[in-house]
Amino acid sequence: MIIKSHPGEGLLYQYAAGDLSAAMTLVVGTHIDMCKACRQTVCEIEQKLCEENLDTLVSVASTTMSKSQCDQMLEAIFASSACNKQTRQPNEILSLEGRRFTLPRTLAHNSHRIGEWSKLVGKLWRAPLTLDNGNQTNLIYMAPGAKVPEHTHKGQEATLVIDGVFNDEKSEYRDGDFVLLDPSRTHTPETQDEDCLTLATLDAPLHFTSGISRLLNPFSQLFFR
Amino acid sequence: MQMMSERTSTRGSMTTTQTDAADRAAELLAKIAENRSRAAFSELFRQFAPKLQSYATRQFGNEQTAMDLVQETMTNVWHKAHLFKPDRGSPSTWIFTIARNIRFDLLRKNKKRKDDISADELWPILSEQNDSLDDGYALDHDVLMQEISFYYAQLPDAQRVVIEKIYIEGKSQQEVSDALGVPLGTIKSRTRLALKKLKELIVDDN
Ligand SMILES: [Zn+2]
Repeated sequence: MIIKSHPGEGLLYQYAAGDLSAAMTLVVGTHIDMCKACRQTVCEIEQKLCEENLDTLVSVASTTMSKSQCDQMLEAIFASSACNKQTRQPNEILSLEGRRFTLPRTLAHNSHRIGEWSKLVGKLWRAPLTLDNGNQTNLIYMAPGAKVPEHTHKGQEATLVIDGVFNDEKSEYRDGDFVLLDPSRTHTPETQDEDCLTLATLDAPLHFTSGISRLLNPFSQLFFR
Repeated sequence: MQMMSERTSTRGSMTTTQTDAADRAAELLAKIAENRSRAAFSELFRQFAPKLQSYATRQFGNEQTAMDLVQETMTNVWHKAHLFKPDRGSPSTWIFTIARNIRFDLLRKNKKRKDDISADELWPILSEQNDSLDDGYALDHDVLMQEISFYYAQLPDAQRVVIEKIYIEGKSQQEVSDALGVPLGTIKSRTRLALKKLKELIVDDN
Protein backbone atom coordinates (compact mmCIF):
# COMPACT_ATOMS: atom_id res chain seq x y z
CA MET A 1 0.00 0.00 0.00
CA ILE A 2 1.28 3.45 -0.89
CA ILE A 3 1.39 5.97 1.93
CA LYS A 4 0.16 9.32 0.67
CA SER A 5 0.83 11.62 3.53
CA HIS A 6 4.26 12.00 5.16
CA PRO A 7 5.99 14.21 7.72
CA GLY A 8 7.66 17.16 6.00
CA GLU A 9 11.39 17.04 5.50
CA GLY A 10 11.90 19.66 8.23
CA LEU A 11 10.20 17.39 10.73
CA LEU A 12 12.32 14.43 9.60
CA TYR A 13 15.45 16.56 10.15
CA GLN A 14 14.36 17.47 13.66
CA TYR A 15 13.55 13.81 14.29
CA ALA A 16 16.99 12.66 13.15
CA ALA A 17 18.76 15.40 15.10
CA GLY A 18 16.86 14.50 18.28
CA ASP A 19 15.23 17.92 18.50
CA LEU A 20 11.57 16.89 18.68
CA SER A 21 9.62 16.26 21.87
CA ALA A 22 9.43 12.66 23.03
CA ALA A 23 5.78 12.49 21.93
CA MET A 24 6.44 13.80 18.43
CA THR A 25 9.51 11.56 18.14
CA LEU A 26 7.30 8.58 18.91
CA VAL A 27 4.69 9.51 16.30
CA VAL A 28 7.21 10.34 13.57
CA GLY A 29 9.28 7.26 14.48
CA THR A 30 6.24 5.02 14.18
CA HIS A 31 5.48 6.50 10.76
CA ILE A 32 9.07 5.76 9.76
CA ASP A 33 8.63 2.13 10.83
CA MET A 34 5.74 1.93 8.38
CA CYS A 35 7.25 3.99 5.57
CA LYS A 36 10.23 2.83 3.56
CA ALA A 37 10.60 6.16 1.76
CA CYS A 38 10.92 8.18 4.98
CA ARG A 39 13.17 5.52 6.50
CA GLN A 40 15.56 6.00 3.64
CA THR A 41 15.32 9.78 3.85
CA VAL A 42 16.14 9.63 7.57
CA CYS A 43 19.15 7.39 6.83
CA GLU A 44 20.40 10.04 4.44
CA ILE A 45 19.69 12.86 6.88
CA GLU A 46 21.53 11.03 9.67
CA GLN A 47 24.49 10.62 7.39
CA LYS A 48 24.38 14.29 6.49
CA LEU A 49 24.04 15.36 10.12
CA CYS A 50 26.98 13.14 10.93
CA GLU A 51 29.06 14.71 8.20
CA GLU A 52 28.21 18.18 9.47
CA ASN A 53 28.50 17.48 13.18
CA LEU A 54 31.07 14.77 13.55
CA ASP A 55 33.14 14.25 10.43
CA THR A 56 33.93 17.92 10.11
CA LEU A 57 36.06 18.58 13.13
CA VAL A 58 35.44 22.13 14.24
CA SER A 59 37.91 23.08 16.90
CA VAL A 60 36.16 24.80 19.76
CA ALA A 61 38.12 26.94 22.16
CA SER A 62 41.00 25.30 23.94
CA THR A 63 39.05 22.33 25.15
CA THR A 64 40.76 19.52 23.28
CA MET A 65 41.14 16.52 25.55
CA SER A 66 44.59 16.08 26.99
CA LYS A 67 46.41 12.77 26.82
CA SER A 68 45.83 12.12 30.50
CA GLN A 69 42.14 12.91 30.14
CA CYS A 70 41.92 10.41 27.29
CA ASP A 71 43.73 7.72 29.27
CA GLN A 72 41.55 8.34 32.28
CA MET A 73 38.38 8.03 30.25
CA LEU A 74 39.61 4.87 28.52
CA GLU A 75 40.34 3.35 31.95
CA ALA A 76 36.82 4.19 33.10
CA ILE A 77 35.28 2.71 29.97
CA PHE A 78 37.23 -0.55 30.23
CA ALA A 79 36.27 -0.78 33.88
CA SER A 80 32.57 -0.21 33.17
CA SER A 81 30.20 -3.11 33.00
CA ALA A 82 27.75 -3.52 30.16
CA CYS A 83 24.60 -1.86 31.40
CA ASN A 84 22.20 -4.69 30.93
CA LYS A 85 19.13 -2.64 31.43
CA GLN A 86 16.28 -5.06 31.70
CA THR A 87 14.84 -4.42 28.28
CA ARG A 88 11.20 -5.22 28.04
CA GLN A 89 10.08 -7.63 25.42
CA PRO A 90 8.28 -5.62 22.73
CA ASN A 91 4.62 -6.55 22.53
CA GLU A 92 3.32 -6.26 19.02
CA ILE A 93 -0.25 -7.30 19.54
CA LEU A 94 -2.98 -4.97 20.74
CA SER A 95 -6.43 -6.41 21.39
CA LEU A 96 -9.44 -4.14 21.61
CA GLU A 97 -13.16 -4.58 21.05
CA GLY A 98 -12.61 -8.03 19.60
CA ARG A 99 -10.03 -6.71 17.14
CA ARG A 100 -6.35 -7.54 17.05
CA PHE A 101 -3.87 -4.97 15.79
CA THR A 102 -0.19 -5.41 15.04
CA LEU A 103 1.83 -2.50 16.38
CA PRO A 104 4.77 -1.09 14.41
CA ARG A 105 8.21 -1.46 15.96
CA THR A 106 8.65 1.79 17.90
CA LEU A 107 5.16 1.52 19.33
CA ALA A 108 5.65 -2.17 20.16
CA HIS A 109 8.82 -1.26 22.08
CA ASN A 110 6.68 1.11 24.15
CA SER A 111 3.61 -1.08 24.57
CA HIS A 112 4.13 -1.09 28.34
CA ARG A 113 3.40 2.65 28.27
CA ILE A 114 -0.11 2.19 26.90
CA GLY A 115 -2.61 2.89 29.67
CA GLU A 116 -6.18 1.74 30.25
CA TRP A 117 -8.69 2.08 27.46
CA SER A 118 -11.71 4.21 28.19
CA LYS A 119 -14.84 4.69 26.13
CA LEU A 120 -15.58 8.23 25.10
CA VAL A 121 -18.61 9.82 23.47
CA GLY A 122 -19.87 8.16 20.33
CA LYS A 123 -17.93 5.21 19.09
CA LEU A 124 -14.55 6.35 20.29
CA TRP A 125 -12.06 4.77 22.66
CA ARG A 126 -8.88 6.26 24.03
CA ALA A 127 -5.78 4.95 25.80
CA PRO A 128 -3.14 7.41 27.00
CA LEU A 129 0.56 6.83 26.50
CA THR A 130 2.78 7.77 29.40
CA LEU A 131 5.94 9.25 27.94
CA ASP A 132 7.05 12.15 30.09
CA ASN A 133 5.68 15.19 31.81
CA GLY A 134 3.23 17.35 29.90
CA ASN A 135 2.68 15.17 26.89
CA GLN A 136 -0.72 14.44 25.48
CA THR A 137 -0.32 11.31 23.45
CA ASN A 138 -3.07 8.80 22.89
CA LEU A 139 -4.09 5.80 20.93
CA ILE A 140 -7.55 6.55 19.57
CA TYR A 141 -9.80 3.80 18.32
CA MET A 142 -12.74 4.77 16.13
CA ALA A 143 -15.31 2.03 15.51
CA PRO A 144 -17.06 2.01 12.12
CA GLY A 145 -19.40 4.99 11.80
CA ALA A 146 -17.64 7.01 14.52
CA LYS A 147 -17.45 10.77 14.37
CA VAL A 148 -15.29 13.19 16.33
CA PRO A 149 -17.31 16.38 16.82
CA GLU A 150 -16.07 19.40 14.90
CA HIS A 151 -13.22 21.07 16.71
CA THR A 152 -10.22 23.28 16.29
CA HIS A 153 -6.85 22.86 17.93
CA LYS A 154 -5.13 25.29 20.14
CA GLY A 155 -1.91 23.49 19.39
CA GLN A 156 -0.61 21.33 16.63
CA GLU A 157 -2.02 17.86 16.33
CA ALA A 158 -0.14 15.04 14.71
CA THR A 159 -2.13 11.94 13.86
CA LEU A 160 -0.81 8.70 12.46
CA VAL A 161 -3.05 5.95 11.12
CA ILE A 162 -1.86 2.62 12.55
CA ASP A 163 -4.57 0.52 10.98
CA GLY A 164 -7.79 1.26 9.09
CA VAL A 165 -9.14 4.39 7.47
CA PHE A 166 -10.68 7.67 8.54
CA ASN A 167 -11.56 10.80 6.65
CA ASP A 168 -12.18 14.45 7.31
CA GLU A 169 -13.64 17.10 5.01
CA LYS A 170 -10.47 17.24 3.03
CA SER A 171 -9.15 13.78 2.50
CA GLU A 172 -9.03 10.13 3.41
CA TYR A 173 -6.21 8.69 5.54
CA ARG A 174 -5.08 5.08 5.62
CA ASP A 175 -2.36 2.89 7.20
CA GLY A 176 0.83 4.86 7.69
CA ASP A 177 -0.60 8.25 6.73
CA PHE A 178 0.78 11.04 8.90
CA VAL A 179 -1.41 14.11 9.28
CA LEU A 180 -0.24 17.36 10.82
CA LEU A 181 -3.04 19.78 11.52
CA ASP A 182 -2.37 23.41 12.08
CA PRO A 183 -4.12 25.22 14.90
CA SER A 184 -6.47 27.30 12.77
CA ARG A 185 -8.19 24.53 10.86
CA THR A 186 -11.46 23.05 11.97
CA HIS A 187 -11.98 19.44 11.13
CA THR A 188 -14.27 16.53 11.83
CA PRO A 189 -12.57 13.15 11.60
CA GLU A 190 -14.95 10.26 11.01
CA THR A 191 -14.99 6.63 9.99
CA GLN A 192 -17.37 5.06 7.49
CA ASP A 193 -17.69 1.26 7.11
CA GLU A 194 -14.24 0.43 8.47
CA ASP A 195 -12.75 1.10 11.88
CA CYS A 196 -9.52 2.93 12.53
CA LEU A 197 -6.72 2.90 15.09
CA THR A 198 -4.65 6.07 15.27
CA LEU A 199 -1.79 7.43 17.35
CA ALA A 200 -2.21 11.10 18.08
CA THR A 201 -0.35 13.76 19.96
CA LEU A 202 -1.43 17.26 20.75
CA ASP A 203 0.35 20.10 22.46
CA ALA A 204 -2.84 21.83 23.67
CA PRO A 205 -6.42 20.70 24.35
CA LEU A 206 -9.03 20.46 21.65
CA HIS A 207 -11.63 23.16 21.39
CA PHE A 208 -15.00 22.10 20.01
CA THR A 209 -16.62 24.77 17.87
CA SER A 210 -19.94 23.72 16.47
CA GLY A 211 -23.48 23.78 17.92
CA ILE A 212 -24.23 21.12 20.42
CA SER A 213 -20.73 19.75 20.46
CA ARG A 214 -19.60 22.92 22.21
CA LEU A 215 -21.08 21.14 25.20
CA LEU A 216 -18.28 18.64 24.76
CA ASN A 217 -15.53 21.11 25.53
CA PRO A 218 -15.24 19.76 29.05
CA PHE A 219 -14.47 16.41 27.42
CA SER A 220 -11.54 17.72 25.48
CA GLN A 221 -9.34 17.38 28.54
CA LEU A 222 -10.47 13.79 28.75
CA PHE A 223 -9.97 13.21 25.06
CA PHE A 224 -6.41 14.38 24.88
CA ARG A 225 -4.52 14.15 28.06
CA MET B 1 1.69 17.15 6.36
CA GLN B 2 3.40 17.05 3.03
CA MET B 3 2.87 15.00 -0.05
CA MET B 4 5.91 13.00 -0.99
CA SER B 5 8.13 14.88 -3.34
CA GLU B 6 11.33 13.87 -5.02
CA ARG B 7 14.07 14.38 -2.52
CA THR B 8 17.33 14.61 -4.25
CA SER B 9 20.50 14.08 -2.40
CA THR B 10 22.90 16.99 -2.48
CA ARG B 11 25.73 15.12 -0.90
CA GLY B 12 28.87 14.71 -2.88
CA SER B 13 30.62 11.41 -2.96
CA MET B 14 33.04 10.61 -0.21
CA THR B 15 36.70 11.22 -0.75
CA THR B 16 39.17 8.37 -0.70
CA THR B 17 40.52 9.46 2.68
CA GLN B 18 37.04 9.36 4.20
CA THR B 19 36.39 5.94 2.68
CA ASP B 20 39.64 4.63 4.09
CA ALA B 21 38.84 6.06 7.51
CA ALA B 22 35.38 4.48 7.38
CA ASP B 23 36.84 1.11 6.36
CA ARG B 24 39.36 1.31 9.19
CA ALA B 25 36.68 2.21 11.75
CA ALA B 26 34.55 -0.72 10.55
CA GLU B 27 37.53 -3.07 11.00
CA LEU B 28 38.14 -1.73 14.49
CA LEU B 29 34.50 -2.21 15.45
CA ALA B 30 34.64 -5.80 14.19
CA LYS B 31 37.77 -6.45 16.28
CA ILE B 32 36.11 -4.96 19.35
CA ALA B 33 33.02 -7.09 18.80
CA GLU B 34 34.93 -10.30 18.17
CA ASN B 35 37.92 -10.08 20.53
CA ARG B 36 37.09 -7.25 22.93
CA SER B 37 40.32 -5.74 21.63
CA ARG B 38 41.38 -2.84 23.84
CA ALA B 39 43.98 -1.75 21.30
CA ALA B 40 41.32 -1.49 18.59
CA PHE B 41 39.04 0.45 20.91
CA SER B 42 41.82 2.83 21.93
CA GLU B 43 42.48 3.62 18.28
CA LEU B 44 38.79 4.16 17.61
CA PHE B 45 38.57 6.31 20.73
CA ARG B 46 41.43 8.55 19.56
CA GLN B 47 39.63 8.95 16.23
CA PHE B 48 36.21 9.80 17.63
CA ALA B 49 36.58 11.28 21.11
CA PRO B 50 37.76 14.73 19.91
CA LYS B 51 34.98 14.86 17.30
CA LEU B 52 32.35 13.90 19.84
CA GLN B 53 33.78 16.41 22.28
CA SER B 54 33.56 19.16 19.69
CA TYR B 55 29.96 18.20 18.78
CA ALA B 56 28.94 18.04 22.43
CA THR B 57 30.60 21.32 23.37
CA ARG B 58 28.67 23.07 20.61
CA GLN B 59 25.45 21.39 21.77
CA PHE B 60 25.76 22.02 25.49
CA GLY B 61 28.20 24.89 25.86
CA ASN B 62 29.31 23.15 29.01
CA GLU B 63 32.58 21.32 29.25
CA GLN B 64 31.57 18.81 31.90
CA THR B 65 28.34 17.78 30.14
CA ALA B 66 30.30 17.52 26.91
CA MET B 67 32.74 15.10 28.56
CA ASP B 68 29.78 13.10 29.90
CA LEU B 69 28.46 12.75 26.37
CA VAL B 70 31.86 11.59 25.07
CA GLN B 71 32.21 9.03 27.84
CA GLU B 72 28.66 7.66 27.63
CA THR B 73 28.76 7.45 23.85
CA MET B 74 32.10 5.65 23.76
CA THR B 75 31.03 3.35 26.61
CA ASN B 76 28.12 2.25 24.44
CA VAL B 77 30.47 1.74 21.49
CA TRP B 78 32.72 -0.46 23.67
CA HIS B 79 29.88 -2.66 24.90
CA LYS B 80 27.64 -2.65 21.82
CA ALA B 81 30.11 -2.87 18.95
CA HIS B 82 28.48 -6.14 17.87
CA LEU B 83 25.29 -4.23 17.06
CA PHE B 84 26.99 -2.16 14.35
CA LYS B 85 25.71 -3.28 10.94
CA PRO B 86 28.20 -2.25 8.24
CA ASP B 87 25.63 -2.72 5.49
CA ARG B 88 23.27 -0.24 7.13
CA GLY B 89 25.52 2.79 7.34
CA SER B 90 28.97 4.08 8.07
CA PRO B 91 30.65 3.67 11.48
CA SER B 92 30.62 7.41 12.11
CA THR B 93 26.90 7.66 11.36
CA TRP B 94 26.25 4.82 13.80
CA ILE B 95 28.33 6.53 16.48
CA PHE B 96 26.60 9.83 15.71
CA THR B 97 23.16 8.28 16.30
CA ILE B 98 24.36 6.92 19.65
CA ALA B 99 25.61 10.40 20.58
CA ARG B 100 22.32 11.90 19.40
CA ASN B 101 20.46 9.59 21.80
CA ILE B 102 22.79 10.36 24.71
CA ARG B 103 22.27 14.08 24.02
CA PHE B 104 18.49 13.60 24.04
CA ASP B 105 18.68 12.03 27.51
CA LEU B 106 21.28 14.48 28.89
CA LEU B 107 19.08 17.43 27.86
CA ARG B 108 16.22 15.97 29.91
CA LYS B 109 18.29 14.72 32.81
CA ASN B 110 17.21 17.35 35.33
CA LYS B 111 13.52 17.12 34.57
CA LYS B 112 13.47 13.39 34.22
CA ARG B 113 11.29 11.24 36.43
CA LYS B 114 11.94 7.56 36.93
CA ASP B 115 9.51 6.23 34.35
CA ASP B 116 10.04 8.90 31.72
CA ILE B 117 10.78 7.65 28.27
CA SER B 118 14.42 7.52 27.21
CA ALA B 119 16.05 7.87 23.82
CA ASP B 120 16.74 4.14 23.59
CA GLU B 121 13.03 3.51 23.67
CA LEU B 122 12.38 6.07 20.95
CA TRP B 123 15.22 5.07 18.62
CA PRO B 124 15.85 1.39 19.38
CA ILE B 125 19.23 1.43 17.59
CA LEU B 126 20.95 -0.46 20.41
CA SER B 127 18.20 -3.00 20.85
CA GLU B 128 19.42 -6.59 20.99
CA GLN B 129 16.16 -7.79 19.51
CA ASN B 130 16.46 -8.63 15.89
CA ASP B 131 13.79 -6.38 14.49
CA SER B 132 12.37 -7.49 11.23
CA LEU B 133 12.38 -4.18 9.39
CA ASP B 134 13.54 -4.65 5.87
CA ASP B 135 16.57 -2.63 5.05
CA GLY B 136 15.36 0.68 3.71
CA TYR B 137 18.81 1.42 2.50
CA ALA B 138 19.26 -1.38 0.05
CA LEU B 139 17.88 -1.03 -3.43
CA ASP B 140 14.93 -3.04 -4.55
CA HIS B 141 16.45 -6.33 -5.58
CA ASP B 142 14.68 -6.50 -8.94
CA VAL B 143 15.69 -2.99 -9.87
CA LEU B 144 19.22 -3.91 -8.95
CA MET B 145 19.32 -6.97 -11.15
CA GLN B 146 17.94 -5.11 -14.16
CA GLU B 147 19.89 -1.92 -13.85
CA ILE B 148 23.09 -3.00 -12.27
CA SER B 149 24.79 -4.25 -15.40
CA PHE B 150 24.50 -0.80 -16.98
CA TYR B 151 25.95 1.00 -14.04
CA TYR B 152 28.33 -1.18 -12.13
CA ALA B 153 31.04 -0.71 -14.70
CA GLN B 154 31.28 2.89 -13.51
CA LEU B 155 32.20 1.92 -9.95
CA PRO B 156 35.74 2.13 -8.56
CA ASP B 157 37.48 -1.22 -9.07
CA ALA B 158 37.50 -2.29 -5.43
CA GLN B 159 33.73 -1.78 -5.16
CA ARG B 160 32.95 -3.23 -8.59
CA VAL B 161 34.70 -6.51 -7.80
CA VAL B 162 32.66 -6.90 -4.62
CA ILE B 163 29.39 -6.12 -6.39
CA GLU B 164 30.18 -8.56 -9.22
CA LYS B 165 30.93 -11.36 -6.81
CA ILE B 166 27.84 -10.78 -4.70
CA TYR B 167 25.20 -9.88 -7.26
CA ILE B 168 26.41 -11.71 -10.33
CA GLU B 169 28.23 -14.71 -8.91
CA GLY B 170 25.83 -14.91 -5.97
CA LYS B 171 28.54 -15.20 -3.32
CA SER B 172 27.93 -14.26 0.30
CA GLN B 173 29.81 -11.35 1.82
CA GLN B 174 31.76 -13.83 3.95
CA GLU B 175 32.78 -15.81 0.84
CA VAL B 176 33.91 -12.62 -0.90
CA SER B 177 35.86 -11.68 2.21
CA ASP B 178 37.60 -15.07 2.17
CA ALA B 179 38.22 -15.03 -1.57
CA LEU B 180 39.77 -11.56 -1.58
CA GLY B 181 41.47 -11.84 1.78
CA VAL B 182 39.82 -8.60 2.85
CA PRO B 183 38.08 -8.20 6.25
CA LEU B 184 34.33 -8.80 6.28
CA GLY B 185 33.64 -5.29 7.61
CA THR B 186 35.45 -3.80 4.63
CA ILE B 187 33.45 -5.94 2.19
CA LYS B 188 30.24 -4.80 3.87
CA SER B 189 31.16 -1.15 3.75
CA ARG B 190 32.29 -1.43 0.12
CA THR B 191 28.96 -3.07 -0.71
CA ARG B 192 27.11 -0.29 1.00
CA LEU B 193 29.12 2.46 -0.68
CA ALA B 194 28.74 0.76 -4.05
CA LEU B 195 24.96 0.46 -3.64
CA LYS B 196 24.79 4.08 -2.65
CA LYS B 197 26.86 5.12 -5.65
CA LEU B 198 24.73 2.96 -7.92
CA LYS B 199 21.61 4.52 -6.54
CA GLU B 200 22.99 7.98 -7.27
CA LEU B 201 23.92 6.97 -10.80
CA ILE B 202 20.48 5.51 -11.41
CA VAL B 203 18.65 8.47 -9.90
CA ASP B 204 20.78 10.94 -11.86
CA ASP B 205 20.08 9.07 -15.06
CA ASN B 206 16.32 9.02 -14.69
ZN1 LIG C 1 6.79 8.59 4.96
